[in-house]
Amino acid sequence: MEIPAKMPRALLILCAASIWIGAGLPSPCLAQHASASNPMSFPESKQVLGLKGLKHNTSGTLSVENGSLVFTKGKTKAVVPASSITEVLTGKDTERTIGGTVGTLTLFAPYGAGRFLSLFRTKIDTLAIEYLDPAGAVHGAVFTLREGNALGAKEALLGQGAKTSVPVEVEAEAAAKQKGKKQ
Amino acid sequence: MNRSACSIALLSLAPILLFLRGSASAEEKTQPKIQASAIQILMVQSEEVELPIEFRLALYENLVEQIQKVNKFQHVYRDGDPAAADSDLVILHSNVYGFKKGSEEKRQVTTVSGATSINVHCLFTDKAGKSELAQDVTGKVRFMGGNLRATYDFAKKVAQVVEKNFQ
Repeated sequence: MEIPAKMPRALLILCAASIWIGAGLPSPCLAQHASASNPMSFPESKQVLGLKGLKHNTSGTLSVENGSLVFTKGKTKAVVPASSITEVLTGKDTERTIGGTVGTLTLFAPYGAGRFLSLFRTKIDTLAIEYLDPAGAVHGAVFTLREGNALGAKEALLGQGAKTSVPVEVEAEAAAKQKGKKQ
Repeated sequence: MNRSACSIALLSLAPILLFLRGSASAEEKTQPKIQASAIQILMVQSEEVELPIEFRLALYENLVEQIQKVNKFQHVYRDGDPAAADSDLVILHSNVYGFKKGSEEKRQVTTVSGATSINVHCLFTDKAGKSELAQDVTGKVRFMGGNLRATYDFAKKVAQVVEKNFQ
């Protein structure tokens, strides 16, 4: 007689536990959905140079929205209308996995530890744009993105009205060839 | 004997060297500085060598930034700026004639190899195209920093040229 009474109780506890666990992890799930819902957003990007109002090597989010390239760092936003972009080209590079001030300090570590750490590198993509300001003066900007994102960003920019001398397909083919050579 | 001969030779050369140094510095002093209230920096060209676009843009952007910092001109115009119409405008043409892309990894691991260098011919002209000053400048990164740091080094050197030659 007690068994059926205990069963729903156990079920209730299980349900409560699953709800609690689910409630404990809502934000990353939502964040993942947010970035998935906006495929034109590229977090963990870096503005190497060229955007007004931002220092060199500023990390932030690069996105393509409402016909513009937008780079966001906290409350600071730099906007470049896609129609003013006259050239978009991508490339590949690597950077130290441990970078920044800590990375620099490790160079002075004893027994060549800094040099050893320099061997650990992360592959990155580069995105370079040449654009005109409203007066018609030429500007340039260089970004780094996570590996595999630059061509997507370029495609998105071209879709919004940017121009290029090298089509996406040609760059993708060249990148694939390079990858094949390395393998 | 040999020692004394050497010392005599050095002593006899000393006044000549001093004279040469003096005349060189006098030449430097007498060289008139170029007067201009505005400069227009044209986009960097690379007809002789293949230069990746990120380097070309970084050279140009760093040039604009560093020449603005020198504070020798009232206006620093970019390429294509229609406002660049000052009567004493100087135009800076930069043409890359040498480029060696190194490797940041090699530099950090070995410290002796992997340097990046960019050789640029800089030409300052007036509005009519008459040459005012021409100089070859090399940007390098040997140890610290990424490959694009060579473009910063180049721009700093051009800024020094501007500082030295413009009023």
